[in-house]
Amino acid sequence: MTVLEAKNLSYEYSVGTPFQVTAIKNINLTVEKGEMLAIIGHTGSGKSTLIQHFNALFQPTEGQIFLNGKDINESKESAHAARFKVGLCFQYPEYQLFESTVYKDIAFGPSNMGLSDAEIDARVRRAAAFTGIRDDMLEKSPFDLSGGEKRRVAIAGVMAMEPEVLIMDEPAAGLDPRGRKTILELIKNYRETTGSTVIIVSHSMEDVASVADRIVVLNKGTVALSGSVDEVFSHADELVEMGLNIPQITKIFAELKKSGYDLNTSVYTSEQAKNEILRYLQKGGNA
Amino acid sequence: MIKDITLGQYFPGDSFIHKLDPRFKLIFTVFVLVEIFLCKNFLSLGLIFLFSIACGLISKISFKVIMKGLKMIYLLIFFTSALQIFYNKTGTPIEIFGGKITTGGIFTAIFMAVRIISLIFVSSLLTYTTSPTALTDGLERLLSPLKKLHIPVDTLAMMMTIALRFIPTLIEEIYKIMNAQKARGADLENGNIIKRAKALVPIFIPLFVNSFRRAYELAFAMECRCYNGSNRRTRMKKMHTGWRDIVALCVVLLILAAIILLNHFFGAVI
Ligand SMILES: Nc1ncnc2c1ncn2[C@@H]1O[C@H](COP(=O)(O)OP(=O)(O)O)[C@@H](O)[C@H]1O
Ligand SMILES: [Mg+2]
Repeated sequence: MTVLEAKNLSYEYSVGTPFQVTAIKNINLTVEKGEMLAIIGHTGSGKSTLIQHFNALFQPTEGQIFLNGKDINESKESAHAARFKVGLCFQYPEYQLFESTVYKDIAFGPSNMGLSDAEIDARVRRAAAFTGIRDDMLEKSPFDLSGGEKRRVAIAGVMAMEPEVLIMDEPAAGLDPRGRKTILELIKNYRETTGSTVIIVSHSMEDVASVADRIVVLNKGTVALSGSVDEVFSHADELVEMGLNIPQITKIFAELKKSGYDLNTSVYTSEQAKNEILRYLQKGGNA
Repeated sequence: MIKDITLGQYFPGDSFIHKLDPRFKLIFTVFVLVEIFLCKNFLSLGLIFLFSIACGLISKISFKVIMKGLKMIYLLIFFTSALQIFYNKTGTPIEIFGGKITTGGIFTAIFMAVRIISLIFVSSLLTYTTSPTALTDGLERLLSPLKKLHIPVDTLAMMMTIALRFIPTLIEEIYKIMNAQKARGADLENGNIIKRAKALVPIFIPLFVNSFRRAYELAFAMECRCYNGSNRRTRMKKMHTGWRDIVALCVVLLILAAIILLNHFFGAVI
C-alpha cells in the first residue's frame, strides 16, 4: 500500500529575484507502507527540499503530494495534520534543542499534538528507550550533553510523535564512525519494532546500503535511478558520475568478480564480505 | 516576511556602478543624499529623481527587486504624505469628502513622497551594488584619519564586516529552526499575542545558542590565523580609482550645480 506519493513535484527558491533556482523538478515518487526507503544524492541535489514537501512545510511550485491518497495541501488543516503523521527530523537536529531538560524537549512534539500527560510521558519514555537515552539523562539540560547524545535527544523528539512515516535528513552526518553506526542501528531497530515507514536521506551509499529496502537516487533535482539496493548499485559508473560512491567493499568484490572469482557482488558490509568469502572457500573455490 | 527584506542585500554584477571604487561610491551616495535634501522645487527634485532612476537602470538590477525592498517603507511614505496633506494649509483650498485640503498640502505631500523614494532608492543602490566587505573596507579607509584620535577604526570595521557577513546566515538559520519546530507541531501563526510570543521561545533560544557557538568558533579560527586587530594588516584587494570615478564625480557635481540654479530661478515648494 502506498503511504506517500509525489506527483510531478517541482520547487523553486526565491521566485522573482535574481537568485531564483529550481531545486527539484518533476519528481514522481511513491513510498510504500512499512518500507525503509533511502533517498540518496550529492549535496545540492534537492534531497532536503524534497522531503520538506512530505510534511507540508513547503508548498510545491508545481505538482502534488498525497498522504494516504489525500492531497496534503488541500487545506490548512490537512497540512497541519501532516506534520504529525509525517515526522521530519532535520539535518543536524541537535541545533534545534531549546528546553531546559531533555525530557521537556522530547515532550515538545507530543504536547503540541494535544495528548494527555500520561500519553506524553509514555511516548517520551518509549522514544528515549529507542534512542538509548538513560533515565538519569532525562532531567539534564540538553546543552550539557555530548554531540552524539544531543543528536539522539533530537531524534527522540521526532520519534516521540510516533508518526506513520519517519523521515531522517542525513541522520549520521558529522558523526564519527561509531556514532554513525549507533544512529543507523537505532533507526533500524526503531523500524523493526514499530513497523513504521522510514525514509532515510543521505549522501553516503555506505551508510544506507545495509539498512534500506529501496533506494531513490536524486541528481540535480530529478530522480536519476530508483530500485532495490542491488539494482541501483549495478549502475556503479553512473553513480560515480553523479558524485556518489558505491561502498569500498562492493567495489573490491566487483573487481574480484572481473578477475574471475565467482563471487556474489551484492556485498555492502564487511560482515557480508566475510560470509561471502567463507561461502566461496567452503564451496571449494581456489583462493 | 523576513524573506522579503532585500534592503542591505548585495546583488553581484559588473555594471558601471558595480565597478566604482567603494570609497568614492560612499562619498557619492552621501553627496546625492545631501543633494536630495537641497532640492526646493519639483524641477530640481525631478532631476535628481530621474538621476536615481538612471542609476538604477545602469546598475542592471531589476526594478521589481528594488521595489520589493521598498515594501517596508510604503507605510512610512504614506503617513508622511498624509500628514502633509492635513497640516499644510497654504495654497488654494479644495473640498474633498467634506474635509478641506489645499493645493499646497497636496504638492508638499507629493514632494515628500518623491523625496523619500529617491532617498531610499539611492541608498539601497549603494548596498545592492557593493559587497558588504567592499563597503566596510571603503568606510574604514575613509575613516582612517580618525586613527590619529585613537579610535580603533579597523577593529570597528572588522566588527561591521563580520556582522554584515552573518546577517544572511542568521536569516537562513531562523528559517531552518522555524521549520524544524514546525515539523514538531509548533504553531507560529495562530493564537493571541501571548501565545505567539511564547511560540518564539523554541526559535530564539537555539538561535542565540548557535550564534554564541559560531562566534566562539570564528574567534578561535581568526586567532589561529594570527588575527590580533593590529593596524599592521595589509589588504588582499587593492582599491583602484579609475576613469569611472572621475566621470561619476563630474556627474554629481553637475547635478549639484543644476539643483542650485533650479532652486534659485524657480519658486520653492517647501
Ligand atoms: N533556502 C534556500 N534558498 C535558495 N536556494 C536554496 C535554499 N535551500 C536550498 N537551495 C538550493 O536548492 C538546491 C537543493 O538544495 P537541497 O535541497 O538543500 O539539497 P541537498 O539536501 O540534497 O543537499 C541547491 O541548489 C541549493 O543551492
Ligand atoms: Mg540537505
